[in-house]
Amino acid sequence: MKFDISYTFDALPRLFEGALVTLQISLLGIALSLCLATGLTLVREATGWTWAHRMLAVYISFIRGTPLLVQIFLIFYVSPVIGLDIGPFLAGILAITLNSAAFVVEILRGGLASVPKGQFEAARALGLNGWVLWGKVILPQTFIASVPALVNEYTQVLKATALLSTITIVELMRVSQQIYTRNYHPVEVLTGTFLMYFVMCFAVSRAAAQLETRMKRRQA
Amino acid sequence: MSRDAKFLELIEITTKFDTLTALDKVSLTVAKGEVVCIIGPSGCGKSTLLRTVNWLAPPNAGTVRLEGQSVGQAPERRQTGRGIRALNTFRARMGMVFQQFNTWPHLTALENVTRAQVVVLGRSAAEAAERARAALCDVGLADKIDDWPEMLSGGQKQRLAIARALAMDPSLMLLDEPTSALDPELVSGVLAVLKSLAEKGMTMLIVTHELGFAAQVADRVVFMEAGRIVEEGPTSQDLHAPKTERLKDFLAKLTATQMPSAMAQKVVAHDPI
Repeated sequence: MKFDISYTFDALPRLFEGALVTLQISLLGIALSLCLATGLTLVREATGWTWAHRMLAVYISFIRGTPLLVQIFLIFYVSPVIGLDIGPFLAGILAITLNSAAFVVEILRGGLASVPKGQFEAARALGLNGWVLWGKVILPQTFIASVPALVNEYTQVLKATALLSTITIVELMRVSQQIYTRNYHPVEVLTGTFLMYFVMCFAVSRAAAQLETRMKRRQA
Repeated sequence: MSRDAKFLELIEITTKFDTLTALDKVSLTVAKGEVVCIIGPSGCGKSTLLRTVNWLAPPNAGTVRLEGQSVGQAPERRQTGRGIRALNTFRARMGMVFQQFNTWPHLTALENVTRAQVVVLGRSAAEAAERARAALCDVGLADKIDDWPEMLSGGQKQRLAIARALAMDPSLMLLDEPTSALDPELVSGVLAVLKSLAEKGMTMLIVTHELGFAAQVADRVVFMEAGRIVEEGPTSQDLHAPKTERLKDFLAKLTATQMPSAMAQKVVAHDPI
């Protein structure tokens, strides 16, 4: 069978639509996981709730110790059983968010470790504490220090959304499957898919590199 | 004694870190407008004593009073709950300057100085910015207002940290080895700022190794060792005619390594070692 690039070009408009869904899901997942992970980080670092710390440790080890695909299936198939009729899209977002947040919590722990103890002391000595201490002084520095690792995590999330094709979400991977099961030209279609994913991830990492240089410039 | 004489009182402060006793029943009274320098070998508890004043290092026993009001009374730690609000009010009245500056790298110089004013003192953004500009001017950073701390030299960072503390209009300044992390040539700028503060009548508690500076600004010198105050007295007496052998020894060692300022020579002249 000859490689016929016209099949790639024909598939591009629909692949593009699929890519938009992939972008939507991954951006939503990323945003939600960052929020969740920030909240969990605060619980872990700024409270003395030992029970919550233990539950968090269990959550992180379960997420890290099982495949994302299994987690996606579990949430998709189990949620209706326990009376949560959330549909594939929400189930997918939930799975991606819960999975990514566990890793982001660990990333933020690393970022936080790089914030000197003196930063806390300077804030406390001025009479700051609680939300202001964390929100205005500590967390911004934590995020800045975490940017490289966060970008890495988010390219992972973007690619991991391909797994959501298995629970009927019509994102980039699902769209390409739909196309090549009809025209029997998987190589050409998947080439287009491959490039789409690459372009999206490349854009994310370039944007992040820009962000890093900008932050370095103002800090160096 | 008048209220001014007992402006700041540390009463029988004992602090333990695991098995190590960092402070052993230390008491110290500072009068309003007085500049007290705390000197001593490393690990003697002088930084811990300073950090006890604003309860950054809550002691195991003892009381701290500012103008007669209890800042904290051990073993109460006041890190959470209702007490934290009262503690924050006290902390806002005590400006603290650290050895490592601890300026906030993600905020500009101006933002570094305005943040706590707005949050803790409830000043408006405009008010806070105006006060911040004045404070930055006072420390000689008028042209660095919009710079990021990482663009500043060590001495400038420390002066920024001083401005941050001053903008809160504190009634007391706590300085923890403010020049120890600086290159020698940057020390003088910081010391000049502190000296002018002392001349304006600011009450200051300074942990320092700069004997020459202590001789110039301090009303009183406190010498600590192993968690206790060994010798305490007027600057001229402490530095020129120490009573204890231990302080004599310490001064001799320090002056041997520091630049032979007029002060150091004086100490040596008084001390036949």
